[in-house]
Amino acid sequence: MSASGYVELQVATHFSFLRGVSSCEELFGQAAALGLSALGIVDRNSVAGLVRAWEASKETGVRLIPGTRVDLACGTSLLLYPTDRLAWTRLCRLLTLGKGRAGKGRCELHWDDLPPWSKGLIAILLPDLPDETNAAALQRLVSIFGPQGYLGLSLRRRPDDALRIYELDAQGRDFGVRCVALGDVLYHSVERELLQDVVTAIRHRTTIDALGFKRERYADRHLKSGSEMERRFSLYPDAIAASRDIAGACAFDLGQLQYQYPQEATAGETPQLLLERLTASAAARMFPQGVPKAYRDQLAHELRLIDQLSYAPYFLTVNSIVAEARRRKILCQGRGSAANSCVCFVLGITSIDPIKHELLFERFVSGERKEPPDIDVDFEHERREEIIQWIYETYGRTRSALTAVVTRYRARGALRDVGKALGLPADMTGALSGLIWGWSVEGVSDEQARELNLDTSDPRLSMTLSLARELIGAPRHLSQHPGGFVLTSDRLDELVPIEPAAMDDRQVIEWDKDDIDAMKFMKVDILGLGMLGCMRRAFALLEEHRGVAMTMASPTLQHDDPAVYAMIQRADTLGVFQIESRAQMSMLPRIKPVKFYDLVIEVAIVRPGPIQGDMVHPYLRRREGTEKAEYPRPELRGVLEKTLGVPLFQEQAMRVAIVGAGFTPAEADQLRRAMATFKFTGGVSHFYDKLVEGMVKRGYPRDFAERTFKQIEGFGSYGFPESHAV
Amino acid sequence: MQTRAQQIESLPVHQRPAARELGRRSEAADNPFRAMSSTIKAKPVAGRVEQLFPPMVTTMAQKQRMILAAVDDAAAAAGLHPGMALTHARALVPELDVRDADPHGDRALLHRLALFAVRRWTPTAQVDEPDGLLMDISGVAHLFDGEQKLARHILRFCHRAGLYGRIAIADTVGAAHALARFGKERISICRTHEELTALGSMPIAALRLDERQRDAAQRLGIERIGELVAMPRAPLSRRLGGSLLRRLDQATGRLAEPLVPVVPFEMPDVERRFAEPIGAAETIARVLADLTRDLAKLLLSRGLGVRMLRLVCERVDSAEQEVVVGTARGTRDVAHMLRLLTMKIETIDPGFGIDSMRLIALRSEPLDPIALTADFGENAPADLASLVDQIVTRLGQAAIYRPTARQSDVPERSIGRVFPLEAADCWSTLWPRPARMLRRPERIENVLAGLPDHPPKRFRWRGVTHTIACADGPERIRGEWWRRPGESYAVRDYFRVENEHGERFWVFRRGDGEHACSGDLSWHIHGIFG
Repeated sequence: MSASGYVELQVATHFSFLRGVSSCEELFGQAAALGLSALGIVDRNSVAGLVRAWEASKETGVRLIPGTRVDLACGTSLLLYPTDRLAWTRLCRLLTLGKGRAGKGRCELHWDDLPPWSKGLIAILLPDLPDETNAAALQRLVSIFGPQGYLGLSLRRRPDDALRIYELDAQGRDFGVRCVALGDVLYHSVERELLQDVVTAIRHRTTIDALGFKRERYADRHLKSGSEMERRFSLYPDAIAASRDIAGACAFDLGQLQYQYPQEATAGETPQLLLERLTASAAARMFPQGVPKAYRDQLAHELRLIDQLSYAPYFLTVNSIVAEARRRKILCQGRGSAANSCVCFVLGITSIDPIKHELLFERFVSGERKEPPDIDVDFEHERREEIIQWIYETYGRTRSALTAVVTRYRARGALRDVGKALGLPADMTGALSGLIWGWSVEGVSDEQARELNLDTSDPRLSMTLSLARELIGAPRHLSQHPGGFVLTSDRLDELVPIEPAAMDDRQVIEWDKDDIDAMKFMKVDILGLGMLGCMRRAFALLEEHRGVAMTMASPTLQHDDPAVYAMIQRADTLGVFQIESRAQMSMLPRIKPVKFYDLVIEVAIVRPGPIQGDMVHPYLRRREGTEKAEYPRPELRGVLEKTLGVPLFQEQAMRVAIVGAGFTPAEADQLRRAMATFKFTGGVSHFYDKLVEGMVKRGYPRDFAERTFKQIEGFGSYGFPESHAV
Repeated sequence: MQTRAQQIESLPVHQRPAARELGRRSEAADNPFRAMSSTIKAKPVAGRVEQLFPPMVTTMAQKQRMILAAVDDAAAAAGLHPGMALTHARALVPELDVRDADPHGDRALLHRLALFAVRRWTPTAQVDEPDGLLMDISGVAHLFDGEQKLARHILRFCHRAGLYGRIAIADTVGAAHALARFGKERISICRTHEELTALGSMPIAALRLDERQRDAAQRLGIERIGELVAMPRAPLSRRLGGSLLRRLDQATGRLAEPLVPVVPFEMPDVERRFAEPIGAAETIARVLADLTRDLAKLLLSRGLGVRMLRLVCERVDSAEQEVVVGTARGTRDVAHMLRLLTMKIETIDPGFGIDSMRLIALRSEPLDPIALTADFGENAPADLASLVDQIVTRLGQAAIYRPTARQSDVPERSIGRVFPLEAADCWSTLWPRPARMLRRPERIENVLAGLPDHPPKRFRWRGVTHTIACADGPERIRGEWWRRPGESYAVRDYFRVENEHGERFWVFRRGDGEHACSGDLSWHIHGIFG
């Protein structure tokens, strides 16, 4: 690949909703193939796609230059690139200002909004024709940005294009503005131009026959290589050089964003010390007779790990939220992997005793992963709003906001929209989308369409099917996450733009859950659970009628009640949380749970993962005694004894991998993540060789190794971690 | 104290007031269209029709849901009723025949029926939306031997026309309306001053109330008209509104309710009959001039302009010769009409002689008088309509058109045709197009051009080799892939080229030179500038 200096500075991903049609991965892959050294991603009025772009850039080795395209209310468009971290904060504040003014999904900015935030930003003006409007825009550009303002030139392939570029260049020189060559990229390769026309039709809510001149009329919107751009702008070498200079000047990388935890500790005491103090006093309250050794050791171990990874502020924040809830007498309960932590148990964030149930702390926080832990807290559904408002008040609206959720096109929606744009009658698209089951990624195949007696040789129909398949996964718009909060110590809108959500009093950042994880921000999930409200009402009734005051952590609730288990064994569980579905009720008489852990297994086993992985029947057989639990090696016995030799939980799979196949904990964690994310359908199989060969080398029979792998693969996305089940 | 009816009864026959003085008797002939569209004329078949055809319903959309608008007998027997959701109906009766409701067609049919009624039965008829007719038969019933026979006559007509009808005859519109729809009999005749007893047991929906009034009355627990009549009036009017009481009064006869009759439209026509049959061309022309003048006067008096004229010449041997001309705009200009007719006069073959000539305005539209401007119309802009008419009459409709711009980048599709007098869209003048575009692009050979986007340096067309001095381009036009799959990724690169003599051409190359799927790199010429 030629090492040309050109850098493409105008690329729109599909986060320019319904304008761009290529994902960041595709764009960066194509850029790497074409030999471009860097790409500047500019989506319209948003930075929503930048984290994905950042990850794609890390994977492909093409540098990302983050920026945004701002469409001013007067019709002019500017590309804005921050040169350093402070300029990024200004850009985020500017976007927050525009979005706050205009409401959900829109942004309203004017020329006059730019001067206070313009320092450190490089602006590229996108011109139309070299006329007076353009001259006026250039005038303002120079007055605000000075030498940091550029004029963008792009070939439109329309009549008199060469003349237009010449006159624009002359006009730029009149004002002392340097010109830069741009590619105006909407998709990564030429095959996408059909889909681009279709999303334009969807955006304008017409059919494609009636689109007329609303179609994108300028040609060549695919990603072009550096040598190609140099050839096109061979008369303007300075424009090519300008792109190189801009890329060089933009030294900002998303990794430079430092996230600060909110400050809970007062001056003079570090968060770690505060956490240790709180833990100690809470443990003393919980065990008035003295903290047992097991707990003491575990607490010390956990606190050491927390100190090492500097996660103390996170626990403190969650603790303060839970403390506020307790103060207001709102029932709350931590859930998920937080149950593995003794510190959480002692502080009252969760009610599960990890020592008693032998849960693994490393599942929650591991030394190898540098991500902050993820604590989800369930609150009473009816009073969740109070907590949310308290968070806004305490942390302030500039320091707290909800994460976004990217609503993407699923198979049905894509088929409906593409069918409507291509003019298919509504009942036909309805019939086709009715063929799609669940969240299929493949869309509708030709055989299925033929089943409906539709003529698949009809070009419109086959185009609809294939284009709908391409559209699946493209974002439609951002919406608000039900409860994921991002809290910071400094201003949040200096890290990422905040926009108002459709609901009153809610604001949302532009990045979603995965982006937050990648950027290592802290997120707390404030969720509502109807059952907690139920329990509170039960406690209230108990107090009123029997005079018994209980809370969720009461000792009487910690032990198993045989009468309750008898009822469960009869499958008389309508209205009982988690075990009232028909599948559960049919499984209960077979398992006959007698203790709490049996219920844990029950909840975990009636899931698609274990059923697919053929673990249910062996377990049932062994439990009934018709089959003997066998362990090829004694070390596996320790791991699988609780579940009679059948791996049912993600942690067991992890430990089997570590113990049986010699995985390091980090690799085991990767295996777990491959299991946990169903976006990567091929992820787990890539561990196949390592696992099977590793086990065979350690002396396990090969068929056992393969069976184990099949069981682990069957977890897919539906296996449970133990703590979740608990 | 005798009632008025008893008083009249007590008089001897010759002293009783005539029927027409007793008051108006209005009649409503009800045609609830049970899923019969106006295009379907079911032949009444003696016997069981239901088993031959599946139950039929019509549907209409109501807020994104399809509901039934009307059901036929078989469907009603199966338990369907108007207002039910279509999916529910389909679930109940799988083999349902579903058609779209056509309210416009129904209204047009009712209008035609009203005109028919005016011609045959009574001078005053009105359409009673959505499914009935109102006819005023005061003074008409005796022509049919009484009201009962008249009613039966009308119903027999309906039956022949394939419509199901119910008739009620009463003194007031309201009473007749209610009886026709809610009465027990198919033919109900309500005698004078008996409206209240007849209406008493009917539901209040029979009073032609709107939704709001119906709901309000229902909330008060009023179900029957009798209950309404029994309640004191003032509080009723306060709580339910004056319009409800007005309907009641109209039904009982307290308030008058005149009908708005339909007026059949008469086509303006003038006729000349001759004592002696004529045959010479000049005579025919002279008569034509007279006829046109008379027609223009008639049109002026009625405020109409003619769009289509029909001249009928009846010959001695009873054959008819006919000439039809149309105009682009309504006109009553004598010279213009005469000119158009004279163009077609050669087609008239007088044979042994013409007995009469008749000029009919087949289609006319309202034409307001034109105000004279200060200069008496001398400097008025030329009137295209008369020119268009003459050309159309001589050469046919397809001979003249006006080009208009269509929103397409592909040059062949960017031009459309409209009728000369309609408005046309203009092309943008930013991007020049050749003055003359070839109907089909022609291939050019020996093209010397650099790939991927350089204009040709030389080409040969129709035997002449052109050397290019300067050029502009490429203008990259993408194919419209939704029209033809062959245009999926096709691209044409257009170049404006000027040869050494100064002639400019518009040439293109199929394909963008980089991707093979975009074209086969052949060159064509598509137009000539200047």
